[in-house]
Amino acid sequence: MRRSLKCARLLMGITLLTALACTGAVMAEEIKIGVLFPLTGGAAAAGRELRSGAELALDIANNAMPDINMTMAKNVGIKSMGGAKITLIFKDHEGNPTLGADLAKKLILDDKVHGLMGAYHSSVTKAVSAVAEQYGIPLINDSSTSPELTKQGYKWFWRTTPHDVYFTKDLFEFLKGMTEGKVKGLAAVPKKDITNLASACEKTEWGAAVSELIEKFGKDYGFEVKKSILYAAKATDLSSEVRSLIAVKPDAMLFASYTSDAILMMKTLKDQKAAPKLLWGQNAGFEVPEFVSTLGDTTVGSLTRTVFIPKIAQVKPVAAKINAMYKAKTGNDLSGASARSFTGLQAWVHVLEKAGSVKPADIQKAANAIEIPGDELVVPWQGIKFAASGEDIGQNTLGMGLIGQYQKAADGKIDLEIVYPFNVATANMIYPFPKF
Amino acid sequence: MDILLGSIASGILLGMVLSLVALGLTVIFGLMDIVNFAHGEFLMIGMYTGLLTAQATGLDPLLTLPLAAGIGFLLGVLCYGGFVKYLLRGPMIAQLLGTFGLMLVLRNIALLFFGSEDRALHHGLLVGKSFDVGMGIIISATKLAVAVLAVLSFVGVWLLMNRTKLGKALTATALNRQGARYMGIPTERMNALAWGIGGATVTIAGALIVNFWSVNPYVGLIFTMIAFTVVALGGFGSVPGAFFAGLVVGFIMEIPGFWDFFAITFNISWMDAVPMTSFKYTWIYVSYFVIMLISPRGLFGWKQ
Amino acid sequence: MEAIRNALDFSDFPRIDRMVALAVVLLLVTFPLFPHSAFAMATMIQFLMFSLYGMGWNTIGGYGGQVDLGKAQYVGIGAYTTTVCLLRWDIPFWVSMPLGACLSIGWSFIIGYPLFQLKGHYFAIATIATSLVLKDIFEVWKFVGAARGLGILPFKYQTPDFLRLIFKEDVYYYYTIFGLFIIGLLYMNWFRKSRLGFQLRSIKDNEEVARSLGINVHWAKIKTYAIATAFVSVVGSFHAVYVKNIEPEDTMSLDISILIALMAMLGGAGSLWGPIIGAGVLIPLKSYLKEWLGAAAGLVGIDLILYGLIIMIISAFEPRGLWGIVEKIRRRKRI
Repeated sequence: MRRSLKCARLLMGITLLTALACTGAVMAEEIKIGVLFPLTGGAAAAGRELRSGAELALDIANNAMPDINMTMAKNVGIKSMGGAKITLIFKDHEGNPTLGADLAKKLILDDKVHGLMGAYHSSVTKAVSAVAEQYGIPLINDSSTSPELTKQGYKWFWRTTPHDVYFTKDLFEFLKGMTEGKVKGLAAVPKKDITNLASACEKTEWGAAVSELIEKFGKDYGFEVKKSILYAAKATDLSSEVRSLIAVKPDAMLFASYTSDAILMMKTLKDQKAAPKLLWGQNAGFEVPEFVSTLGDTTVGSLTRTVFIPKIAQVKPVAAKINAMYKAKTGNDLSGASARSFTGLQAWVHVLEKAGSVKPADIQKAANAIEIPGDELVVPWQGIKFAASGEDIGQNTLGMGLIGQYQKAADGKIDLEIVYPFNVATANMIYPFPKF
Repeated sequence: MDILLGSIASGILLGMVLSLVALGLTVIFGLMDIVNFAHGEFLMIGMYTGLLTAQATGLDPLLTLPLAAGIGFLLGVLCYGGFVKYLLRGPMIAQLLGTFGLMLVLRNIALLFFGSEDRALHHGLLVGKSFDVGMGIIISATKLAVAVLAVLSFVGVWLLMNRTKLGKALTATALNRQGARYMGIPTERMNALAWGIGGATVTIAGALIVNFWSVNPYVGLIFTMIAFTVVALGGFGSVPGAFFAGLVVGFIMEIPGFWDFFAITFNISWMDAVPMTSFKYTWIYVSYFVIMLISPRGLFGWKQ
Repeated sequence: MEAIRNALDFSDFPRIDRMVALAVVLLLVTFPLFPHSAFAMATMIQFLMFSLYGMGWNTIGGYGGQVDLGKAQYVGIGAYTTTVCLLRWDIPFWVSMPLGACLSIGWSFIIGYPLFQLKGHYFAIATIATSLVLKDIFEVWKFVGAARGLGILPFKYQTPDFLRLIFKEDVYYYYTIFGLFIIGLLYMNWFRKSRLGFQLRSIKDNEEVARSLGINVHWAKIKTYAIATAFVSVVGSFHAVYVKNIEPEDTMSLDISILIALMAMLGGAGSLWGPIIGAGVLIPLKSYLKEWLGAAAGLVGIDLILYGLIIMIISAFEPRGLWGIVEKIRRRKRI
């Protein structure tokens, strides 16, 4: 019995080995990038978005689509490598950092990927980036926003998205703007009306960092953070958290939530008849399509920071084109998640094009040197250029964020309207937040 | 003051919800000394039943309750007849492990079919409706419905156990299985019935709970722990005990609210800094431990 | 000396057992020499880790018959002690590991005293409760990184670093845990023949009788609980330097506790080989099923369904696990 079990295990191992040996042979014209996203778990909705965004970018990179005004659309595959095509190997980390690190290791050692991308959850990205750094494999991060990630001095880590210091600063600039009457369609609000803040953030890397930033910037800008709560994103019940928030009677409630907890949070707030004047979400859960489709009218008036709002299409032809393609593919508009994974892969293509080889050292050199102009991007940034040194090493220095508000259009559809930056605002702001 | 009253009200409501969750466990335990670790998974299945029937038919879970009860009853009877029966022959260690295995299987079947995403019901007769009674007391219609259901179920089960012949047979089986068999009571069928009742009460609880809590395949465990605490406090096997213990546990879950009340009313800053909401379940575990040490029989326990 | 001789003495097992055991050990020693994928390597390391966890659990759960479902808290204490020591004070693994074991044992005495007032189901649930309480505390405790956890950054050290146990290649980890595995196995071989081992078996059979024989039942249980704890804590420390990323949700979750208990129970609680057989079956099953069915075929969870079914069948029909089946067959042959 015992021996046969051991035999079976050995046999299993051998079978796997042969299987791996067959796939292990690297073909010259194939560039493999391992992509880690949360395809199942609490953020699966965001994971689907991210995957679709990356796949769309892959499609454009591997095929010639001359009618799109992007460098990567012009030719088939990577031109500098003789038209080599990119393959993405998707892995599902379920939002679990240990699993993410494990998968990254297997991608590097067993699948022999040339580079990595991911991983949405800042906690996972943190673990994955340590693995990438250890093995010297480049990792471009598209959508994790904890400031910590680029503060570690990693040489193999680059991040395209702006991080939470930018976003949280945006929030307080926006609040300051409200008191100064800069917001479109809104007279100056007395500061005492919006001075009391309360925050509830999910408790892993990302949320905990946001919570600290809110405290810090709140103090700097002269607001008072009455309560900051950390909660588990996997929670099935948030009623005591919500009651604790309501207890301090905040003027503005600030959230950093992943998908399912964002929806649960809004529902519980409604249930408890919370009445904040402002309700702001730090993107993620607040901008996936499910947020609006499940909550409907409840979302009207809530604010979220993001990097992409479909209204951008009105001013950016590239964004309009890509958004249309994405909509044809998935049925949804691009969101902050999908736009960023699209941009992340786009950055990868530019890096590879510049490197001209898949050697890690070449990729590293190229990544530190690339400069993608803003008019090629779907997101409203000035471009992508990574800081090659300094405190925020690997961070894209040209990014910026938006703050959007859910508003109901005349046709009954709920859309995000831009309210910040003030100069590109697309609609009058709804203030105060309508009662649930 | 608002906070205090609000917390008390929500503690009572929550307590009734939890007591309904624990009812099935105490019925099963009262009849045979077996702790069902898969209890929370039964609840999870109830939640999915409520959710899926509501999404498929557009009917509120309130209307499809009989279906949920039926599924729960069947599930309980099947689990007993197909599995637990054999477990009872083995040592205690095997019973524990066996129901653990059952828990893993049910949980992962749910994972296979429904995926790991959290899902919840967002539309329905009761969802999002709540009554503001004033003085900080807000009663949500969804929780009120479960509370009413809890009272009805408890009364029903109590009447069944104490006022019917069937109940007498159940009690006889619980007290002395051998003796009961000699008196012509089909003890196997009685045990299966207990599992059926246990399953049915917990699935109807689940079907309504999905109105206000979200469900994922992993949701069961925390409810298993809560149910254990309720049953331990009420006394393993005691039906009225479970009801009152449920209320007590409801208040334990509301400790963050009471904490806030003291912190804000008396303006105690160190209390403000304690992340009390992170500990909302911790007190449940602590109280289980303490109760078991002080009074292993709980409040109303009648069985050694 | 006597103890060492006892530990090395396997002569009460039948010849075939000893031959198979020797073959397995040889196989394990030479495994890294065969060409293997990183995935197979990781699975083997997991197998050795869980065999050790299972051996620890086997002392109290198998020989003593006390179903302990809270072992994850000691994985956590061990892992956190090592990580915190390394990150804050640069204390090497070989110092922090015994330190972690001492802390774990201290904590096990504190909660063990009241815990063992309880019996049966009540005890099992209480062990879960204590484990979850500790996890909740770690989730808000800033000193140990709260829910964000702690990460060891491997490239900050000159690898291979044998003092801190930071390596780039998994093969070093493999041999480290293999060494611990052999030590654990020998210890268990001694333990089952020791005074405490016999006391435990008599407690398992009948507590009243054991007490009347003059055995201090409560104290014997607490002592054994501490031994089990030390095992788990040491492997927890190893876990920390191996995965390099520690957070309460991962290291202290109930799932770990359950897995630990399952290893021993499936293989055969209360036998020397049980935990090793259990881990040898469950760990490869888990990782390969997940790899083949889970991610690739989109059948998430099917590995654990099979897992659960095996447990259900074993517990309903052969509560003594796979080893129980082997022994049954043997007995039948002899008759």
